[in-house]
Amino acid sequence: MASKRNGRVLAASVAAATLLTACGGDDEGGGGGGGGEGASGGATYNQAWLVDFSGPYADVYDELQAAREATNEWWNDQVGSEIGVQLSGEVYDHRYDAAQVASLWPGILSEIQPIMAMGVGGPDVAALQQRLPSDKVPMLMNTAGYGYAWEPDQWVFNPRATYVHEAAGFVDWFKEAQKIDGPVKVAMISSEASPAYVDMVDGIEGFAEANPDVAEVVAVEFAEVQPADLSSQVRRIVGAEADVILIQTNTTQAVVTMQALESLNQDIPIMLSSHNSLQATADAAGGLEKLEGDFESFGFVVPAEEEGEAYEFYKMLTEDYGLEAEWTVPTVQGIAHQLYANRVVEQAVEMVGAENLTGQAIYDAILEVQLTSEDLFGFLPDLDWTPEAPFPTSGLTTSIGTVADGTYARAELNHEIPELEKW
Amino acid sequence: MIQLIEYALNGALLGLLYALIAMGFVVIYRASKVFNFAQGELVVVGAFLVWFFTLDLGLPLYVGLALALAGAAIFGLVIEPLLFRRLVGQSTFAMVMVTIGLLILLRGLVLVIFGPSVRPFPALISTSPVNIGDITLNRGLLFGGIFTIVLAIGVSLYFSRTRPGLRMTVVAEDHQIAQSMGISVRRSIAYAWAMGMVLSTLAAVFYLNGKSVTFLVSEIGFAALPVALLAGLESVGGLIPAGIIVGVAQGLAAGYIDPLIGGSFSAVFPYLVMVTILFLRPSGLFGWRIVERV
Repeated sequence: MASKRNGRVLAASVAAATLLTACGGDDEGGGGGGGGEGASGGATYNQAWLVDFSGPYADVYDELQAAREATNEWWNDQVGSEIGVQLSGEVYDHRYDAAQVASLWPGILSEIQPIMAMGVGGPDVAALQQRLPSDKVPMLMNTAGYGYAWEPDQWVFNPRATYVHEAAGFVDWFKEAQKIDGPVKVAMISSEASPAYVDMVDGIEGFAEANPDVAEVVAVEFAEVQPADLSSQVRRIVGAEADVILIQTNTTQAVVTMQALESLNQDIPIMLSSHNSLQATADAAGGLEKLEGDFESFGFVVPAEEEGEAYEFYKMLTEDYGLEAEWTVPTVQGIAHQLYANRVVEQAVEMVGAENLTGQAIYDAILEVQLTSEDLFGFLPDLDWTPEAPFPTSGLTTSIGTVADGTYARAELNHEIPELEKW
Repeated sequence: MIQLIEYALNGALLGLLYALIAMGFVVIYRASKVFNFAQGELVVVGAFLVWFFTLDLGLPLYVGLALALAGAAIFGLVIEPLLFRRLVGQSTFAMVMVTIGLLILLRGLVLVIFGPSVRPFPALISTSPVNIGDITLNRGLLFGGIFTIVLAIGVSLYFSRTRPGLRMTVVAEDHQIAQSMGISVRRSIAYAWAMGMVLSTLAAVFYLNGKSVTFLVSEIGFAALPVALLAGLESVGGLIPAGIIVGVAQGLAAGYIDPLIGGSFSAVFPYLVMVTILFLRPSGLFGWRIVERV
């Protein structure tokens, strides 16, 4: 009898402790979209950090998310406290799956009432693009954009132009750097596994058609995203006498292409993107020296040299805000993402006041703000959005990394991207 | 002409790689009547074991490989008491559902234990090509193909000519009959999973030779599915012709149809071949023909 009573007392104690803990947790969570009172006295707002911790880009998100969080902490400490705003955030893993995004989103809206969502890529754009205007929550991306999303009046915003812009900028630079007289003979290895990958091919074909003196597409090979062998495909590319191979899908396709080139005793340079960067591909291939003479192209700073304003900012985050991430492309991407988002919040505060931030205010601020590269510590070029496109359409640049003498190096910073028509 | 031969040969070698992976499906089915949806995940676990013992611990390649194979066998043996012991005699459907659970469990475990990073996979075979006249072949796939043929003959003989193999075959026929004959169904299932794991690890060695490994490699399990179904789920020997048919079809489609239609038709083509043949022979090319009383 006594033990039964003790059991009930224990159960009641546990229930009470759980209840108290749950009540206490609210103080930390902040006031969400309504602008709750933060610990530092400012209004606290929520952002939804969408991540891929268990899908195809899981390998980049540990560093990328750590960089976002450290940057946000710095901003709260140094900027938010001055303007009376604190930004909180919750992490939501959607496994790079559009169905998962669609399933999570209503819960995110009701749970934290975010003033903005920090997106991952194709799946969250595909799942949310249509409903964000009615939800009044803008989604800010760290990736480049897609041709199929190049529509006016979007609530999805990219700090970079499309992947096609970044590749076209590279081809333009490559022609100059290699002093190629005619058009650059471009080959592409892609996949039909994602509409984003097909879009990249369509865009470059459109670019080559519009700029026959700059680029000529001599081969397009669609393959599986985890291919066992690409010998046949690469043989055709060699036969087409390509000057360069563009691979903007993943590291596996890049590594298997390198193997196929090696088996055919060929040395055609490969251009990669931010999500399958030189560093990531080198990790997968077993060493940077295997990518000698290859390139990467993306619209933010190449984390090669350990110097400059961007690197100093990164160092500060590691020393003062506990950032545990290497000086890599995902880290740079995460810092750049959070920096421009928080700069937009500053603009919104200027426009509507610290107590009145909403998703609509953030949206209006994005279209109003003009960010300079200095505002963004050199992580991104100047940014100026208009309602015509989800990404800045003027002053577009891409930065190019390479491997020279076995060392990761910056080949070009902010190379101007030629103008592209929609495809 | 040279190009045609090269496409066909490279396709055949790729098909034999699929056959090696499919051998894991068939061995487990043949010995326990479980269609294992987690076959791709078994390849991933085997691949990470090889990576762990060779590159992560830095052991000599063949010592690391031997330890990885031993680890894989132990892992396979553990699956039986953990997941299948209580299902002996239950419906096949229940067992198949458990393999779907195993797929999800293994994917999560690999992420937790090894992390999401893309890891380099050791090159146990030189990555330089084999040139026969004007024909260039992938050395890893060539060695893998020869190994697959030898292994398939060996495993086939094991199941048809040895007592332990015949016991496992009886278990695949019917658990209750096997038990009534004094055959340990549990032990048979455990051995089948151990064999499946070892075969999957060997498949990873040839598939990933000098490439990279991540949990996404598991997709190869589904690429090998047409070969297993085409051969007939009980036929180890049938995997060789089935693998060659699927591989050559895929290789030729990649060489001649993909450039015409501008898409990866070759990835779908094996499934079309499989569906066509299964339409004509539902038990696959070499599967058991079972007469059932309704």
